[in-house]
Amino acid sequence: MTLLRTSHDGEMTLDHTASPGIPAADAERLDMPAELVGEGKKMTAAVMGCPHCGGCQMLNPMRKRPRNVCHKCDKYVCDICAGVMRQPGYVHRTIEEIAAMVHSGKWKLMGSMSNPMMIPVTEAVDG
Amino acid sequence: MAKRLFTSQGLTFTGQAAGSVIGTASSYMALKGGASTQIIDVLEIFISGMATASTVAGMIMDRVSTLETTPTALAAPNRDGGMNPSITALVSGSTVVPFVTASTQPTPSNTVTDIALNLALNLFGGIVRWNAATTQQWWIIGNTAPAGESILFNSSTGGGSTGLANAHIMYEPY
Repeated sequence: MTLLRTSHDGEMTLDHTASPGIPAADAERLDMPAELVGEGKKMTAAVMGCPHCGGCQMLNPMRKRPRNVCHKCDKYVCDICAGVMRQPGYVHRTIEEIAAMVHSGKWKLMGSMSNPMMIPVTEAVDG
Repeated sequence: MAKRLFTSQGLTFTGQAAGSVIGTASSYMALKGGASTQIIDVLEIFISGMATASTVAGMIMDRVSTLETTPTALAAPNRDGGMNPSITALVSGSTVVPFVTASTQPTPSNTVTDIALNLALNLFGGIVRWNAATTQQWWIIGNTAPAGESILFNSSTGGGSTGLANAHIMYEPY
């Protein structure tokens, strides 16, 4: 049993202690916290694995907005998957379920990772 | 299975736009499933900048929207192998495909609903390391786009400039 959602955090270390770092203007464009990636800085940030799309996303330590949670998984999900979850007709599948379906050889994944379409693999029948 | 390391040395990561076919050979690291049912857990990415002047690189781990044709087998100094010397070879037909160039290069995804892991750094002395927590790995599923292949490249879309780096991708195939 997982006690905390943060138990699932990975880690990213960005070390610019011997580097000019990322200038503030570039950091903004690159979606990095400018306060933590400049010259001489060393940033350590949590990284979340998204249970829906199977991707990973750095958790910006300077973020003030709340994180998105899937209450079916009881885990944080990435912002992209959170948007897709709110669309009509959304089918909830975790990446483990998707991987098991593909691994069975009976399904293939089409579309994007946050909004996948699972297509049954059909075999050609002679005659 | 067992953990493997895909390592590149002295690769010039050319800044290239997401959503467009990669225009420069040997300017990225890509990992593709060896079979339609293969699962790969990507566990760690490490990039060590080797540029001799300040170079901000928009490194990202991304899905691939259009696969390459005929990946070229890795050649020294780039390499791929098991982390344990006693590793058992993968079963024929399910061998993972790590590559840095191909006959026709892959296209990194710019689809809004395909996530990308941001690993931007200054390649002049900068180091970035990403580690996945247990069960929170980056997934590669099958061997077709977009789930079956991922690419570590320098995105000019976010303002990345071309620069030299050493890098590795740690992964575990099933």
